[in-house]
Amino acid sequence: MKYKDYYKILGVERSASDEQIKKAYRKLARKYHPDVSKEKDAEEKFKEVAEAYEVLKDAEKRNAYDTMGYYQPGQEFRPPPDWEQQFHSGGGGGFQDLGDLDLFDLLSGLGRGGFRAGRSGGEFRMRGQDYEVTAHLSVEEAARGSEIEVPLPVTEMSGEGQLRRTTKTVKVRIPKGATDGQRLRVPGKGGPGHGGGPDGDLYVNVQLRPHDLFRVSGHDLYLELPVAPWEAALGAEVQVPTLDGRVSVKIPPGSRAGQKLRVRGKGLPRPGGAEGDLYAVLQVVTPSVLSEREKQLYRDLQQASSFNPRAHFG
Amino acid sequence: MSSRFDHQALFTEHLEVALEELAQASGLLPDEIVELVEYGVLQPVGGNSIEGGGISAWRFSARAIVLGRRASRLKADFDLNVSGLALVLTYLERIEEMEAELARLRCQLLG
Repeated sequence: MKYKDYYKILGVERSASDEQIKKAYRKLARKYHPDVSKEKDAEEKFKEVAEAYEVLKDAEKRNAYDTMGYYQPGQEFRPPPDWEQQFHSGGGGGFQDLGDLDLFDLLSGLGRGGFRAGRSGGEFRMRGQDYEVTAHLSVEEAARGSEIEVPLPVTEMSGEGQLRRTTKTVKVRIPKGATDGQRLRVPGKGGPGHGGGPDGDLYVNVQLRPHDLFRVSGHDLYLELPVAPWEAALGAEVQVPTLDGRVSVKIPPGSRAGQKLRVRGKGLPRPGGAEGDLYAVLQVVTPSVLSEREKQLYRDLQQASSFNPRAHFG
Repeated sequence: MSSRFDHQALFTEHLEVALEELAQASGLLPDEIVELVEYGVLQPVGGNSIEGGGISAWRFSARAIVLGRRASRLKADFDLNVSGLALVLTYLERIEEMEAELARLRCQLLG
């Protein structure tokens, strides 16, 4: 079993009062809570903070934790020999094999006589934990649908009533029609229920990875379409990439930078069946190096044109 | 009535759940959901009239499940009462709307 320094995680002294622990938790929760935080790795950090608080706010669990002694974070350790008798934990088995037991799971068993006792009494029935995970998909994967494998850290009970932390891999089919920010619910694929309780559910948040060409807004795609000044002025027919091959797009004469041209039905598929649209946003670009001949033609154009782009400045 | 919530489902505007299903999916108590409806944070599809069937006739959109689950986490992790919860959820939703609008506008900008 690996040691976790809950005091260090909350940034408090080992002698901290309940009030100090609560304050430290609230401060860190505001910083890292995944629903309000923009911090990197907020979710992981919040899990640590919440676990530490769960143990230290409870007098019995804190006492049991303190009695284990002090080790370096991550260090392998065993609780003192009389620890289990003293605290009636759910660890069971007289600490024969604690290698893969999680410290938090051991402490969680306190206060209700341990998982073992509850189960044998037939009174402890609990629904499995719900899990929420984020699936990072490419735009192409979202468009055609995708199957992902989600590793879930679940706590299971062995036949002898011992808690075990294992990894359960769940396959989830993300149907086409999912887009950035969309959620998917997979019933019964969360943590296992205890004592005959139903299994929890798995919630998948879909996030799309940035694409080299396309930007995603709902089910619509945006593509920056560079055009030459003469294409914008005279109009042109150009080939643009879509998720399923190139299509021809007409640039009307007299087009301006920033103008959006809609290519109907070439966005991401919607769950109902219809598709989003692709918008080509015109960007007028000029060659960075001009030949003498090109320069001369621009000069001729300058002479011949009465166009004043700043006429509205007065 | 059979539920459309029994199978793997994308949260779309077509998915609707009853009060009990929302409570189970979110971890909120039915009374807390009713209170959040009174604060206007959660809105049953078609309004929150208690005529014709009462709250058992309420149906909630998939969006309510996302909001309800978030409400449940915030309540537990920050020790909030329902009125504080309603305030936080309102602001979070407003921030999300602005972020979505910002993302939509950024899509249209030339890089």
